[in-house]
Amino acid sequence: MITLLTVGIQSGILFFFGVVVVLIIFWIFWPKKGLIALFSKIKMNNQRVQLEDALKYLFDCEYNKNLCNMNSIAGNLNISDDSASQLIERLLVLGLVTMDDNTISLTDTGRSYSLRVIRVHRIWERYLADETSVAQADWHNEADRIEHFVTQEDTEKLAAQMGNPVFDPHGDPIPSIDGELPEPKGKLLSNLKKGVTGRIIHIEDEPRSIYEQLVVEGLYPGMQVYVTDVDKGKTTFIANGDECTLTPLFASQITVELLSGTVPLAPKYELLSSLAIGEKAEIAGISPNCRGQQRRRLMDLGVVAGSLVSAEMKSASGDPIGYRVMGATIGIRKTQADLIFVHKKNDTNE
Amino acid sequence: MNDNHLKERENILSEANKARWDLGIDLHDTVIESIYEDASRIARKTVKQKGEKAAYALDLRIDKIVTSRWLGFPIMFLLLALVFWLTVTGANYPSGLLASFLIDYMHPILKGAAASIHMPWWLDGVLIDGAYLAMAWVIAVMLPPMAIFFPLFTLLEDLGYLPRVAFNMDSLFRKAGAHGKQALTMSMGFGCNAAGVIAARVIDSPRERLIAIITNNFSLCNGRWPTQILIASIFIGGLVPAQLASVVSAGAVVGIAVLGIFFSLVVSWGLSKSVLRGEASAFSLELPPYRPPRIWQTLYTSLIDRTIIVLWRAVIFAVPAGIVIWLVANVHIGELSLAEYFIQWSNPFAFVFGLNGVILLAYIIAIPANEIVIPTILMLTVLITGASGVGAGTGVIFELNSVGDTANILHAGGWTLLTGLNLMLFSLLHNPCSTTIYTIFKETRSVKWTVVSTFLPIVLGFMVCFFTTQIWYLFFV
Repeated sequence: MITLLTVGIQSGILFFFGVVVVLIIFWIFWPKKGLIALFSKIKMNNQRVQLEDALKYLFDCEYNKNLCNMNSIAGNLNISDDSASQLIERLLVLGLVTMDDNTISLTDTGRSYSLRVIRVHRIWERYLADETSVAQADWHNEADRIEHFVTQEDTEKLAAQMGNPVFDPHGDPIPSIDGELPEPKGKLLSNLKKGVTGRIIHIEDEPRSIYEQLVVEGLYPGMQVYVTDVDKGKTTFIANGDECTLTPLFASQITVELLSGTVPLAPKYELLSSLAIGEKAEIAGISPNCRGQQRRRLMDLGVVAGSLVSAEMKSASGDPIGYRVMGATIGIRKTQADLIFVHKKNDTNE
Repeated sequence: MNDNHLKERENILSEANKARWDLGIDLHDTVIESIYEDASRIARKTVKQKGEKAAYALDLRIDKIVTSRWLGFPIMFLLLALVFWLTVTGANYPSGLLASFLIDYMHPILKGAAASIHMPWWLDGVLIDGAYLAMAWVIAVMLPPMAIFFPLFTLLEDLGYLPRVAFNMDSLFRKAGAHGKQALTMSMGFGCNAAGVIAARVIDSPRERLIAIITNNFSLCNGRWPTQILIASIFIGGLVPAQLASVVSAGAVVGIAVLGIFFSLVVSWGLSKSVLRGEASAFSLELPPYRPPRIWQTLYTSLIDRTIIVLWRAVIFAVPAGIVIWLVANVHIGELSLAEYFIQWSNPFAFVFGLNGVILLAYIIAIPANEIVIPTILMLTVLITGASGVGAGTGVIFELNSVGDTANILHAGGWTLLTGLNLMLFSLLHNPCSTTIYTIFKETRSVKWTVVSTFLPIVLGFMVCFFTTQIWYLFFV
C-alpha cells in the first residue's frame, strides 16, 4: 500500500516495459519468422542434410534416366560450386557414389541409402497429406525437413499405422522396405498427341511455384484428361469438362497413364455446394483434394458415388447446409461441399 | 516346416504389395464404394420401409424454425438462459442446506469429538479445519448446481436440439478456426470446465477438439460466478446509487462472461493459425432426428457420468489442498507464518499487476476449486490484518453472510476498485482448477497440451491485469 505511490510514478516505465515483453514473446513464437523458426532453419544447414539431399537427387536422375554432374547438384541443392565439390568429395570417400568423366552415379550402397531416405520422405508426405492440415504446397518442404531427423523405426511405425501406403500424395510410388521400386510408368503430358485419353498418375512437386499453379488449376492424380489440341508445343486438353491449356514447361510436370480403346469422356460434374435447398442429386465422387480423416468421415456417412443426396436446410447463418444422404441429415460446410462432385437430378420423384 | 510357411507368407505379402502399385491410388475408394453397393443391393431386397416419411416431415418443420435466420438465435439464447436461470435459482436452496449441515452442523460436532478424545491441536487443525472443511465446502457449493445443470443440458442433447445449436453457431466458430460443436462445450463450460473438457469428445476432429479443450477455461464456470457477483457488488455496485447497484454489478458480471467468450474465440483463432496449424482437421455434424427424451436414463447418466465423476475428482484434490491451506497459515518460521512470508514477499510483484499477495496465494492454494478462493482470501486477509472478531480461527476458511462485512474485511486489507476489477479479470483469466487440469490430461493424454492449457490463461491474465493497472495509473493517479 505504501508501494502504491512509487508504482504510480513508475507506471509509465513499467507500461513501456510490459509492451516490450509482449513484443518479445510474439517475436519468439511468430510462425515462420520468429526466433524458434529461425533456430530450426539453422539446424537444417548441416552436412548430413546436404548429403542426404544430394543422394536423393542422384537417385532421381537415375530413375528418370538423366545424367548428373557437379553443376546440376549445386543447382539442385542451391549451394555454391565449392560446397558442391566438397560434398561430392565426401560422398566419394564414403563410397556412396562413383565418378566417371564428370558424370556422377550412385554405387549400390549409395542407392540403397537414397532409397531409404526417399521411403521416409514419401511416407511422411503421405502422412502430412492424410493426417494433418499442412497446406498442400508445404508437404514437400515439410517432409524434406522431417526426413533427416526421424528414425527409421518411427517411420515404419507410422507407415504401419496408415496401412503401409504404396503411393505418396503426388502419385509417386513409395519404395518398399527392401528398396524395391516399380519402373516409371506413363508418359509426360507434354509428349501426348491429339485425341489421346489418359489418366493423370503423377504431378511433380518441384519447383514449388509451378506445382502451386497446377494445384490452382484443379489438376490432381486420378483425373481423366482428353487431349484436344497440340499447337506449338502447347497442350490443350479437357479435364472434368473444362478446357485447359498448358505450356510445355507446365505440361512436362504431369505424367499421364494412357487409357486404351475408346473411353467414354467422363461427364462434367457439378459441385454439391451448387444445389439449392430442395434440389436432389446423385453423388459422383469426392475430390482427391479431400483427404484423410475428412474423406473417411464423409464416406462413412454415405457420401459415395451413386448415393442420392438432397439439400434440406440452411443454418441460421447460411453455412453449413444440412444435406440428407442415406436417410440421415448431416451438416456440411461450403468448403467441403465444394469438394464433392454430383450429377443433378431434375425429376422430383425418386 | 515353420520356416517354409513363414517364407511363403513373406512372398505372398511382397507380391500383394507390388500388386498395389499396379492397382493405383484409388484402391481404398473403390473398395468402400463396392461395399456400399453390395450393402444397398442387399438392403433393397430384404428391408421394407414404412412410416419414416411422415416423421421426417415433422422433423424438417421443426428444423425450419430452429435454424431459421430470424428465430434461430433468439430461441437458442432463450433456452440457454432458461437453463442457467434454473441452475442458479434452483441450486441456492440445496446449497444452503448442505452448507448448514456439513459446515455449520457437522464441523462443530467433529471439533467436539476431537476435543473429547484429546486429539493434539495440530492434528485436529489439519484434519478437521483443513481437510474436512475444504472437502465439505467443495461438496456444498459444487454438487447442487451440477446436479441441476447437467441433467438439463443432457436433456436438451437427448432431445436433439443441441446439434442444431452447433449447426447454427458453426459459421462464427469456423471463422475462429474451430468447430460449431465448440458452442456446446463452451456452454457446458459455463456449468463446469472439467465437464466442458469431457464434452469436447463430441468433436471428432483432432485440431478442433484440442482448441475446444484449451479454450474451455475461458467460459466462466459455476465456481467463479459467485466470486464475480460478490466482488462486482462490493466494488462496482458501490460506485453507483443504491437503486442501480444490482443492475450495474450484474452488468459487470455479464460483461466479464462476454469478455470470456471473446477471449475464447480470439485464442481459438490464434491457436488454429499458429501452434495447431498442422493438426488434422475434419468437419462433420450429424443432425439426428428429434425424439422424446428418455428422462430417467438422462438423469442417471448425467448424474453418474458427469456430476459424480467431476465431484469425486474435486474432492480428491480438495482434501490435500485443505491441509495445505491450514498449514501455510499455521506453520511459523520465527515470528511469521508461511502465508505471511509469501504474501510479504510477493506483494511488490503482485502490485505491478494491480493484485496483492493474498490473491496470488489464494489462487495457488485454492487450486482444487474456484469455489474456495473467496473463503481463502477472507481467511488470509484476516490473518495479515490481524482483525479480531471475524473468521473462525487461523487457517479456517470462512464466508460471511453479509456483503457489507465482507467489504469491510477487504477494504481493511487495502483493496481498492482497481484490486476488485483486477480480481474479476484474474478470476476469468487464470489457470483451470486442478480437477480441470487433471481432466485435460486424461482427455488429451499429452503433457504438452495440459501445460499449454494451464499456463496460457495465466499469462493472458497477468497481461490483461498488467495493462489494466498501468493504464489506470497513467490516467487516474
